[in-house]
Parts: sequence; structure tokens; C-alpha cells
Amino acid sequence: MTTTDEMPASGVTTATLPCRALEEVPRSRDVRRASAPLVSGGAAATPAPAVALHGVSVAFGAHVAVRGVTLSVPGQGVTALVGPSGCGKTSVLRAVNRLHDETGGRVTGRVLLGELDVYASGTPAELVRSRVGMVFQRPNPFPAMNIFDNVVSGLRFCGIRSKSLLADSAEAALRQAALWDVVRDRLREPAVRLSGGQQQRLCIARALAVEPEVLLMDEPCSALDPIATGKIEELIARLASHITIVLVTHNMFQAARVSDHTAVFLLGEDRVGELVEAGTTAEIFSNPKDPRTRAYVTGHVG
Amino acid sequence: MTTEAAIPSPAPSPFSVPGVRQLLDRRPPGRGRLYGVVRWGGAGIFAAVFVALLVSLFEQAAPALGHMGPAILWREWNPAKNQFGAGIFIVGTVITTAIALIISVPVGIAAAVLFAELAPRRIAGPMAAAIEFLAAIPSIVVGLWALIVLEPVFSRHVEPFFKKVPVLDALFHGPALGASLFLAGVVLAIMVLPTMVALSRSAMAAVAVEDREAGRALAATRWQVARQVVVPGARRGIRAAVTLAMGRAFGEAIAVAMVIGNNTGVPHSLLSPGASLGSAIVNSFSEALPGSLEKSGVVALVIVLLAISVVVNAGGQLLLRRRKPTTPPRGPVDATGGAGGPDPLLDLAESAP
Amino acid sequence: MTDVSLPLADGGAVRRDLIRRATGRRIWRRRRFSHVATALCVVAMCLSLTPLVSLLGYIVARGLPAISFGFLVHTPTPIGVPGNGIGNAIVGTVIIVGLAMVMAVPVGVAAALFVVEHPGRLSGTLRFAADVLTGTPSIAIGVFAYAVIALNFGFSALAGSFALAVLMLPIMLRANEEAMFGVPAELWEAGLALGSRRSRVVRSVVLRSALPGMVTGNLLAMARAVGETAPLIFTIFGSQFYALRPTAPMAALPLTIYSDATQPFPAAQQTAWGAALVLVVLVVVVSAAARVVSARLNRKAR
Repeated sequence: MTTTDEMPASGVTTATLPCRALEEVPRSRDVRRASAPLVSGGAAATPAPAVALHGVSVAFGAHVAVRGVTLSVPGQGVTALVGPSGCGKTSVLRAVNRLHDETGGRVTGRVLLGELDVYASGTPAELVRSRVGMVFQRPNPFPAMNIFDNVVSGLRFCGIRSKSLLADSAEAALRQAALWDVVRDRLREPAVRLSGGQQQRLCIARALAVEPEVLLMDEPCSALDPIATGKIEELIARLASHITIVLVTHNMFQAARVSDHTAVFLLGEDRVGELVEAGTTAEIFSNPKDPRTRAYVTGHVG
Repeated sequence: MTTEAAIPSPAPSPFSVPGVRQLLDRRPPGRGRLYGVVRWGGAGIFAAVFVALLVSLFEQAAPALGHMGPAILWREWNPAKNQFGAGIFIVGTVITTAIALIISVPVGIAAAVLFAELAPRRIAGPMAAAIEFLAAIPSIVVGLWALIVLEPVFSRHVEPFFKKVPVLDALFHGPALGASLFLAGVVLAIMVLPTMVALSRSAMAAVAVEDREAGRALAATRWQVARQVVVPGARRGIRAAVTLAMGRAFGEAIAVAMVIGNNTGVPHSLLSPGASLGSAIVNSFSEALPGSLEKSGVVALVIVLLAISVVVNAGGQLLLRRRKPTTPPRGPVDATGGAGGPDPLLDLAESAP
Repeated sequence: MTDVSLPLADGGAVRRDLIRRATGRRIWRRRRFSHVATALCVVAMCLSLTPLVSLLGYIVARGLPAISFGFLVHTPTPIGVPGNGIGNAIVGTVIIVGLAMVMAVPVGVAAALFVVEHPGRLSGTLRFAADVLTGTPSIAIGVFAYAVIALNFGFSALAGSFALAVLMLPIMLRANEEAMFGVPAELWEAGLALGSRRSRVVRSVVLRSALPGMVTGNLLAMARAVGETAPLIFTIFGSQFYALRPTAPMAALPLTIYSDATQPFPAAQQTAWGAALVLVVLVVVVSAAARVVSARLNRKAR
């Protein structure tokens, strides 16, 4: 176990240079696009899906939010869930880590996380959530905690007490979230003193610290300005090389920029959300099979 | 990097509706003379009453205060020797209040956590309402119940039990009479519990749902979210609840007077009968002849009690009032301060080829 | 583990495995702990509820047998003489509290208007003073009323009413003021824009729409005053007869309970329980009235 001092300070500094923002974001987008076919191209040796949903429906009382979703999220890379507001993307996302347990939403169908049956009676929600990280719409660091405590909060919840392990993990997570160089000297400051974009990256670091297999992101940029959005998107692109990301967005351009796979959700005739089409991002945007997808995509792009 | 690291200032809301205050600033008051008299009269009477309260109490207490000097704070109460010190009563007040808080703070916070976090809402609502209903029961009725129902139970079962507990028996010795500092503390605990529960529950309810979800999404159990996210987030409100409960415990006179045993001697144990400031005022006031130095001494006790309770309550109110002034509001405040929500136009501009 | 700081390389793999194993392992223990803690909180709740149940149980069980029509209308008799009653104490409480309301309500409304209409340091101080004074020990107010009125004019119902009025004033000020601030700014504006005289705006618009809140707040203050003993104990002296003159000593329920409870005779104690039941019913009726009135006025306002 190394100490903080021994670690090289280089890391990922380029990502946080403020001058990068606008002109460099498109470049990162190009990189993602170029790599997208590589990921989906390996279809012959497709690994088991990281997350698999079979006929998943979510209902709140009598109101059915989304119905009959069957979707495989391939391991690693970014899968975007897109669609207009109210079509159930977020409901599907929250079904993956059983967050509906908390709010009284009822989930039916099967969700598999690797080999783990998420809703099986013997599966504790905490087990699922320790393997799935989540980032919310609005940055929500714990206001009563400082930056360091925020990052390691997940580890502490899981009962990890070792100081050196916590320190190492915090640094690694903050580096992955491209926040280390901003906060390395102010780890004991309250997290709410960071700017909105920094807070969101702190939340990403907090989610990454528990080393999840899957990262769920629920419109992580919707409360951020374009510069902060650019940084988060860049981060998503880099993280995707070793973690599975499921990204909810109602911004088609964002889906196109950062995702490898896209699932399109639309409202059905009875005002219930449903999955219309899923495939590689390139296919969905250039050659959608479903006419509704075509209408939705062209309506936005063309 | 430095620009980004700077602390953002809270963005002023562009939608702020002109409040009553700003609106009225624009129109200086004054038309309608009667209305002005009413307003100033109301405020004047309010202020005058409380100035009069201080003045008349000090006037009444002046002979005793002059007679005793600062020694009033530590001397004993012995009218036969013309000695009117509050020392024993201050000790009694502190002991009973401490007992009340030692019991009611953990129990009250635990019940509040249950109602705010752990119990299903359908059960938590009525239960919390029931406990808060206890706050509406007049203290004289609590005192009656404590005197007739609780005291025999204490002298027969509770106090003998504590005498047998190792370590604690150092505090609990002497005859178990029922009426004691200990019983008074327990009665105060019962009386301040509703305050504790209600205020800490509302402080916990003010913690954002997003914080709870963040905790749950990080695999925390319900208890961990309550203990490590919600309670720390409600710290300030809970502290205010404790302070205000303490203020109430300090000031309670009647119910305490009924169960504390009213002994102006030095207490040797929590089981010995004692006296608090409030109970001493209740008991000595009627005994003292009007115009006597003893009467003046009782009023001096009132001033001591008033001073303590004003300090404690002012502290509690300040805690309730100051809502984290150092932290900017959360939300869409980044370098450019884009106000609220996704901006499709900006997204378009950014991604245009 | 020397290169944990290179997050994208696989050097963090050791730490990652360590953490993933640790997070999975303790889940059942953590859930058990959560359940135990919840059980402890349930115990705390029961501890809080026990005195309430016992208190209400005893008041009903001991109070009901004491109550009869005669008990409610007769005056007290010497111990052992049949025909004992608390009629004069009930009437006394009603008169004393009524007079206190007559004194306190107008001042409370006028002072609240001042606070609302003269924003600034003076009003802030007034409001803070009211908050602090809400916690003033009522025994201190009793001694004050004794010094100002009873000492100069003798024991009287008026002295008791004055003490209760002083007790209620801070509560009323804050309740009225909060109700007035709840009035939408547009209503003030509309009234003033029509050129109404200021006092008329206040009377016709503001007071009317603030009324539900004010009535509720004032009634709750009254509910508190009804049960107060300490302000009365040195001021009204008590009486064995139907005394209706406010300038003379008078009986009141809290005083009856206090003097009877401390006597060693079962008959006196029974009177105390009966009076306690009547007092609790009075308090509950006034509190309930506060809620009913506010609900009804709210509905009418809409």
C-alpha cells in the first residue's frame, strides 16, 4: 500500500485545464465515435451482458410508468437511454439498482446484473447497490460531509475502516473523476463549496470509489452549464473503457457524442413508456429500423 | 484551474417576486393617522410590557440583591439567618435538567429518527402526532399524574432498583422516598420529550430526499442513511431542539414543585429531596411576607431563573435561525452560471459541426 | 500496489478486488445491525408513548367517576361534605382566559402589523425578543403580575388575566406576523394600486386573507394559557364561591388541581382528577377549534 506522497502527480491533469472546454469537446466525441464500432464490432465474442432486463415494468400505484422493457446492456462502453420526458427512462434506470424500493415504485420482470438476479427474494438491495454506482440529475454531495468523507462515504457504509485503503481509494476515485488536482489541498473543506460541475464530478468519484461494475447516470449534466457538461462527457468517455455506463439523457446530441449503444424510449398510445428500439448508436442515428425512432431521431437531428 | 476552484457566489434568482417588505418600502407608511397610532401603539405596548417586567422584577429584588451581592449565586437559602442565596437551587435546577436531557435527548432523537426515517409513513404520522399531543397537556396535569401515580412507583420499585445497580449506586443512596431530584428530572424528561421529538423530526424532514437516495444508492442500509446522512444533516436543528428543551426544563416550576420534595438543604444523592429555582419560587413566595427581605429574595431567584432561560432560549433561537450561511445553494451554479435545467440551444451550438 | 494512482491502468486491480470483496462480505451483518437499531428506536418510541398512555388513562379512569352534573356546577365544600364541585373554577377559568384574550389579541395584532409594515432592525429585534420571550418561565411572569398588579391593587382575576396576556403576547405576535407574511404580495399591491387608503387595504385585504392563520395562532396561544398554573398562583388567590367580579379574587381550574392534588385526602385527589379531566378537555377543545376554524376559513377564502 503506497502513501499519498509516493504517487506521481501527473495523472489526468489535461482533462481539467479550463481552456480545454469548448474546442476540445468535439474531439473527444470523435474519439468515441471512432471507437464505437470496435466495441460493438466484437459481436462474435460478445461477453455476457453487464445488465440484462427481461420484461421490466415499473408502476407507481395505479400509474404504469414504463412497460415491458427487454434490453441487454453490453459490458463496458456507454449505453444511452434516450427519449422525451416522462417516457420511463429514469424509471428503468432506477430499476437496475432497486432504488424504487425506497419510493414505493413496483418493479415487475427480471433484472440480471451479470449473474445476479437483482429482484430475487434472497438478493439484498445493498448487494446490488454495492456493485452498481449511481449519479443523479442534480449534484448531491452530502452537505454535512467534507470532500474526503463524501468520496469515501460508500466505502465506509460498506464497513471499510482501513485509513490507508480509504485514502488510496479516495485519491484514485478523484483522479478518475478528474477532480484530484482541484481538491487535493482542500479535502477537508465542505463539499458544498465546490462549483456545480465540480460537485457532480465529486459525486462521480463517490460512486466510483466502491469500484462498481456498472455506473448509472441519470441526466448527469442537466443541471450544469456547457463547460461543465463538456468535462463530464469527456469523463464518461474515458471511464467507459473499464466500466459499464448506463446514461439517461433527453439530449440526443449527448447520446450521439458519448454512447456506443442507444436505446430509444417513447410514450405508447396509452401514455405508458416503452422501449422502441435499441442498437449501436451508429445504427440508431443513421439507419433506425422503427419508423417511430426515425421520426424521433430525424425530428431532432434534421 | 484557479478560476474554477473559486467559490461560486449564489446566483440571484431572476424570478424573485417582490416581497411584501420591498413593496412597502416603496410606499412610506403614514397615510391614515389612526392606523399609524395602532401600529406604533401595538409595538409600544409590547415593548413596554417587557421592559416593565424587567424593571419591576429588579425593583422588587433590589433589597435582596443589595443585601447578598454576587454571593446570591452560591450561598444557601436560609431565611432564619437572613441569607437568601440561590446556590442550592441552581444546583438542583442543573441536576434535574441534566437528568431530563440525559433521558430525553437519546430517546427523543431515536423516536424522531424512527418517525422520519425508519417507520412506514402511515404508522409514523399518527404516532408522532400522539407524542406531540403530550406537549399540549398542561404541566399541572402532568404534575398531578407524577405525584399520585409515578411517585409511589418510584419509591417502591424504580429508586430501590437504582440503589442496587453497581456504579450508579454511588449516585443513588439514602432512603427511597419517591419525591426526589431524580423523580423531578424524570418528570421534566417526560415534559420535554414532545419538544425534542417534534423539533428534531422537522429538522430531519428538512434533509433533502436526494441525500437519502445518494446514501441508499451507495449501498447504505436504512439505519446507515439515518445515522450518517440524515442526523448529521439535521445537526443544527437537533441542537436547537436540545437547547429549547433545556430552556423548557429550566423554567418549569409547578410540576417540579409537586415532585421534587422541596428541601433547601444540600442534596447528598439523586434520591434526596431537593429544590430547583422554579420549585423554590413556588414554595417560598407565598410563605414570605409582602415587603420582607425574604420576598425580595424570592424575586431575586426569579431574576436568576430569567437570566438563565433568556440565555438558553436566545442560544436556541439563534441556532434555529442561522441556516448555514457559509454554503451557497446547490444547483446550477458553475462558471457561467447557466440558470437551471438543460439548455437545448446551448447544446445545439456546442455540437454544431 | 505502487501504481494505484494510475487509475486507468490495471494497477488498481488489487485494490479493486479488495474493495469488491469487502463490500459484498458485510452486507448481512449491516442489515442485521440496521434491524437491531430500528428495534431500539421502536423501544425509544414506546418509552415516549408510555407516559402519555398512562397519563391519559389515569385522567380518564380517575377523572370520569368524579364528574357529575353537580360536580360541574357546584362550588367546593369542605372535605367530607357532599355536594363538592368545581363550577366556580370552570367559570373562573373562562372569565380569566377571556379577559386575557381581550387584552392580548388587539396588542398582538397591532404589534404584528408594526413588524410587517416597518421592516428593519427594530422589527427584527422585536421578533427576536418575542421568540426568546416565548420560552420565558411562566412563573417569572406570575411574579411580575403580582408585583405590578396584585401588590398595588390586591389579588384579582384581572391580575391573572394580565399575567396570561403577557404569556400569550409573544406567541400571538409571531403567529399573526407569520400569517400576514403569508399573504401574497400581489394582494397588497392590488389594494394599494387601486388607491385605497392604507388602513383600508390592511383591513379589507390583508387581515381577511391572513385571518385563518391568525385565528389558529391565537387559539393555540389560548390553549396554552388555559392550562397555565404558574401565572395564576400568585395573582388570583382562588375563591370558594362564584365570584364574577374581575377585580376580586377568583377560582380557576389549574389552581384547584394544584391545591387539591397536594392534599393527602382521597376526596381532594378525586376532585383534582375530575378538574384535570375538565381542563384537558378544555385544552383539547380549544386546540381542535383552532384547526377547525382555520380549515373552514381557508375553504371560504378560496
